[in-house]
Amino acid sequence: MASIAQEFTKGFWKEIPPFRLVLGICAALAVTKSLVDGFGMGIALIFVLVCSNIIISMLRKVIPKKVRLACYIVIIATFVVIVELITQAYVYSLYEALGIFIPLIVVNCIILGRAEAFASKKSVLRSALDGLGIGAGYTLALVFLGALREILGRGTLFAGSQYVINLFGPSFKPYAFMVEAPGAFVCLGLLLGIMNVLGD
Amino acid sequence: MPSSEIKYRNLVISSAPHIHEGRSYSGAMYTFIIALLPAVIFAISRYGMDAARVIAVSIASAMASEYIIQKLFRKPVAINDGNALLMGLLMAFILPPSVPWWLIVVGCFFSILVGKQIFGGRGGNTFHPVLLGWVTLRFSWADYINYSYGAINYTLNFSVEYPLHVLKKSGAAAVSGLNYLDLFLGNQVGGTGASAVLLILIGGLFLIARGVISWRIPFSYLAGVAATASVFWLADSAKYADPLFHIVVGNVMIGAFFFATDYSSSPANKTAMLIFGFGCGLFTVLFRILSNNPNGVFFAILFMNILFPLLDKIRPAVPGKVMKEA
Repeated sequence: MASIAQEFTKGFWKEIPPFRLVLGICAALAVTKSLVDGFGMGIALIFVLVCSNIIISMLRKVIPKKVRLACYIVIIATFVVIVELITQAYVYSLYEALGIFIPLIVVNCIILGRAEAFASKKSVLRSALDGLGIGAGYTLALVFLGALREILGRGTLFAGSQYVINLFGPSFKPYAFMVEAPGAFVCLGLLLGIMNVLGD
Repeated sequence: MPSSEIKYRNLVISSAPHIHEGRSYSGAMYTFIIALLPAVIFAISRYGMDAARVIAVSIASAMASEYIIQKLFRKPVAINDGNALLMGLLMAFILPPSVPWWLIVVGCFFSILVGKQIFGGRGGNTFHPVLLGWVTLRFSWADYINYSYGAINYTLNFSVEYPLHVLKKSGAAAVSGLNYLDLFLGNQVGGTGASAVLLILIGGLFLIARGVISWRIPFSYLAGVAATASVFWLADSAKYADPLFHIVVGNVMIGAFFFATDYSSSPANKTAMLIFGFGCGLFTVLFRILSNNPNGVFFAILFMNILFPLLDKIRPAVPGKVMKEA
């Protein structure tokens, strides 16, 4: 059995969701137009993932096997609504930027995957650490993807916050293709390829 | 050691074909390049050093990208096969002569990396690599690769407005005054080399005569353009331009003879070729007429590139194969 620390650290490289598990791709492609958007999405996902992992792990002996998915969805949806209301109240610009992808966290396959494969079998502490690690890995990946696309596609960093940095000066003509949807696929595909080369 | 290996060690065993005509892949690529040379000379004589600069930068960056990527991927370096050279030349042909150098470099690098090498290199690409590169440029820097803007600084003895822009903006009446023979001879604004319509056509016919490409795709392409444009024209000749106009302007000629006939992104069977070419022509005109975008050729070819593996399923029955009864 893996040590407690390993449950946390595996999310950063060995099971980093978009790159190694190729999970949560829909949101990873859609919200990584900038670093800030990617980071916000990652934080929202960490919150939902950790909370739902803890609750599901607590209830793992109570939930009947036959209706477990419905139960998981109810628990996850509860936390997603909390996240949605909080972002709407306090960080409205992020709420606008993420749009439909906050409610869509409910059907994010990372969360359901961790609930089904991990939290429903392991102890509460392990489930919490697993959620934290996987969520942090996801955030890391989204931040990286968002930064790459933002630098190439807009020539800025931290756009959407108060600390916008214009990297290449005003004469830079950004490669706007990268912030379009096809650019996201190309970018993610290239990163997956690089990760596979480095990982082996 | 088994005795059979000793016995037959002087025999070379290989799979078919056993008789080789002597042509090679790189031979075909260099024939393509020779077919484009008249248009290169035409472009340089018209736009001077700017055309030479675009062509040189494009070829150099395509070949450099190919070399770097093949080194990185630890593949045998095959920049001598002429494919990268051809890709660079084609990229230069469809860009206006005024584009900045970095735009060409980005376009060529994307073409070779994502369009060609990621799909498995030579012979593996599903889409025409240059067109994929062009699409990313179109998304990013539409103003730079706009043919009308590109020609603004040249003193030319004909209108410096791209005929398809005129058509989109002012309707069919505005282009009805144009002399089609003049357009056909290359007196129109367009890509650096692609606007030399007559020379591209001659190059294409040369390729067909040499047996490098089949006549089926280019001619069914032109037929597709003519047929679709005729339908619109006959329905309302005041609103839509006539078929001849659609054939002689823009990138139809280079698209039909040099882009749609790319070996690995077009079908290999005869019926499929005809359908592929006709489909390209059909969508070219539909995109030109029904979309906001005045150009249609490249998007039409990319769209048909997606369909070509399906089209290639249309193939003649294998001789001797017995059909099942009902």
